Amino acid sequence: MTVAEKEPEVAAAPAATRRRRSFRPRYPAWLTAPSLLYYTVFFLGPMAILVAFSLAAQQGFGSLRYGFDTSQYGQVTTSLYLAIFGRTLIMAAVGTLLTVAVGYPVAYWMARYLSTYKMLALLIVVVPFWTSFLIRTYALKIILDPNGYLARDLGISIMYTRYAVAVGLVYNYLPLFILPVFASLERMDWTLIEAAADLGARPFSAFREITLRLTLPGVVTGALLVFIPMTGEYIIPNILSGGNYEFVGNVIGDQFNQAQNQPFGSALSISLMLALSVFVIIYILVATKEERFGA
Amino acid sequence: MNRDDSQLNILAPRSLRPKLDYLHREVQQAAGRPLSRRQALGLGGMALLAGAAGCSTSASPASSGSPASSGAASASANPLTGKPLEGHLEIYTWSEYSDPSTFTKFTKLPAEAKAGLTLHQTFYSSNDELLAKLHAGGTSYDIIVPSQNAVAELIQENSLMALDKALLPNLKYLDPSFLKPSYDPTGDYHVIKDFGITMFFFNNKIVTEEIKTMHDFYMALPKYVGKGRTNLLDGAEEVVPLALMALGLDPNTSSQADFSQAKSFLLSIRKGVTTIDASAYIDDAIAGKIILGQGWNGDIRRIVQGRAKQGDMTAVIPGAASEIWADNWCIPASAPHPVAAHAWINWLLTPGTAVTEMNYHDYKIPMDSALSQLAPSLRNDPLFNVPKSYTDNYHYILNVSPQVVEARTQIYSEFKAA
Repeated sequence: MTVAEKEPEVAAAPAATRRRRSFRPRYPAWLTAPSLLYYTVFFLGPMAILVAFSLAAQQGFGSLRYGFDTSQYGQVTTSLYLAIFGRTLIMAAVGTLLTVAVGYPVAYWMARYLSTYKMLALLIVVVPFWTSFLIRTYALKIILDPNGYLARDLGISIMYTRYAVAVGLVYNYLPLFILPVFASLERMDWTLIEAAADLGARPFSAFREITLRLTLPGVVTGALLVFIPMTGEYIIPNILSGGNYEFVGNVIGDQFNQAQNQPFGSALSISLMLALSVFVIIYILVATKEERFGA
Repeated sequence: MNRDDSQLNILAPRSLRPKLDYLHREVQQAAGRPLSRRQALGLGGMALLAGAAGCSTSASPASSGSPASSGAASASANPLTGKPLEGHLEIYTWSEYSDPSTFTKFTKLPAEAKAGLTLHQTFYSSNDELLAKLHAGGTSYDIIVPSQNAVAELIQENSLMALDKALLPNLKYLDPSFLKPSYDPTGDYHVIKDFGITMFFFNNKIVTEEIKTMHDFYMALPKYVGKGRTNLLDGAEEVVPLALMALGLDPNTSSQADFSQAKSFLLSIRKGVTTIDASAYIDDAIAGKIILGQGWNGDIRRIVQGRAKQGDMTAVIPGAASEIWADNWCIPASAPHPVAAHAWINWLLTPGTAVTEMNYHDYKIPMDSALSQLAPSLRNDPLFNVPKSYTDNYHYILNVSPQVVEARTQIYSEFKAA
């Protein structure tokens, strides 16, 4: 400590003309203006419009009276829409758990067992992401088809049900989960496991006490990364449920596209965002905890 | 002229042709709606521009001697008689809904060729997309092709130009019973492009009883759902009014009692419905995956043809009531080239053009002189030439008011969630 304090004096005193070394930001802050402007115009702007819409009253087709009308939010809390919110959150939660169950072993295998082909495996996980989301979902429709191999030969006929939606969610969001978990498993110091084994821990306790704990932040990040877009999902329930298991996103779509009721559609959107922010807050708490104790 | 062209470049993207239709629609609406403040300004500005352009072109020829004659014709509020044909026509329509030769031949007509008329099209994939575009200030279009419910809505909003019948002499060829439908009672704002009906089909190897009406259809759903996939056409404006009609009620009702009756009816047959879809049902039905389903007559015609080898599809034009729908030629109130727009509609009303069109899109144009020129295989197919005895009892489904649309949407959401 004392040495560190004396350092600057020693460096500065002999050569005052020399440029002082500083770790303060080197460029003026206003250079971020373009980014901030973009953020304001394309993110905060639409958000403000959405809030204004949700508090407006519908006058006729395509015309709104702006004001402070909270009746739309009252309608959101009726049993029909609460039930749809409930099913969306439950399905997203189930989808997330399934994604964890499928994704964690894959990430673990890639990080622990592969060396030469690690990057190839990573590539294979990511490659489907280069295809359009829509096409991937349609591809799944072929696999799950009631007359397809899966249904005919294995008797798994789940097309147009909630199970098809769950399969679609896991399939489409898996890479988003594997990547952060893989990253945290990559950083793992596997000698800790050896040490645990040397000290007499069984493989599973070593996994539970060390690997799982150290990678938990990655798992939480990955889970949230898939959970949030899952709750906003529109395409998967639309294509795979055949109208039988639709999410809030589909109801919002109907309100905007068919009923032309922007106020109610906006109120639904904002309610969904509010519901999601609860989970984001939980995440922030977990994430800061990680920083506090060190990963 | 130049001014008009630059206007077009701004408002009508030339290369836009939706491939992934509904994704595109989503983007359109997300981008279209929030502009409502600017949209108002834009509309005003464009109106000024159009007005200025109109004045400058009409000042010299019209001032000579036409005030009296145009005064006489001004019942239609748009005395275009005597105004010169503009040099451009901007069409906003559904993709692949007109024979390509209809466009090329139009620009080669004597008057159009002399005016050096150029023609440009952009496309939409749903009425919602069209309405969103117009609400967002799309003012450069001369011709739009709204379905009946959108026509009624646009009339309510004063967004359509009253047609100048003097410029549409070929209107005489149309079946007079299609001139003043419920969605345009005065007949001043639309000319029918073609029409169709909503009907149903079933696999006759599986469904063996006779089902004749929409009510029969709904009652058959729970009985046969165990034997294969059943399908309803999606959308609140389809599901709820069709159920109302099956019950013998007015599809355009605003009565709460009617709505609750339709709702409990729909919920009672919910378990009989495997899917609610209107985008993929043709291919699925041709592949033999649907055993009982609703559809539009042109689509069902394709399905029956597609299953001709198996011969297991029966198409039923419902007795009692069902939906009749129509697509229409309309001119937006802000159209920059109204005379050319009228010339276009009049061209489409030429029997020869109507024949070409019907051979292309397979939907009926109510024009006897054109129908008689069609090949018998098409003319005598009831799935194309739906007998009047049926359609006389059919109803147009309209967006009566935001309240009615909201009530339908809520029943629809509840139906789907059940």
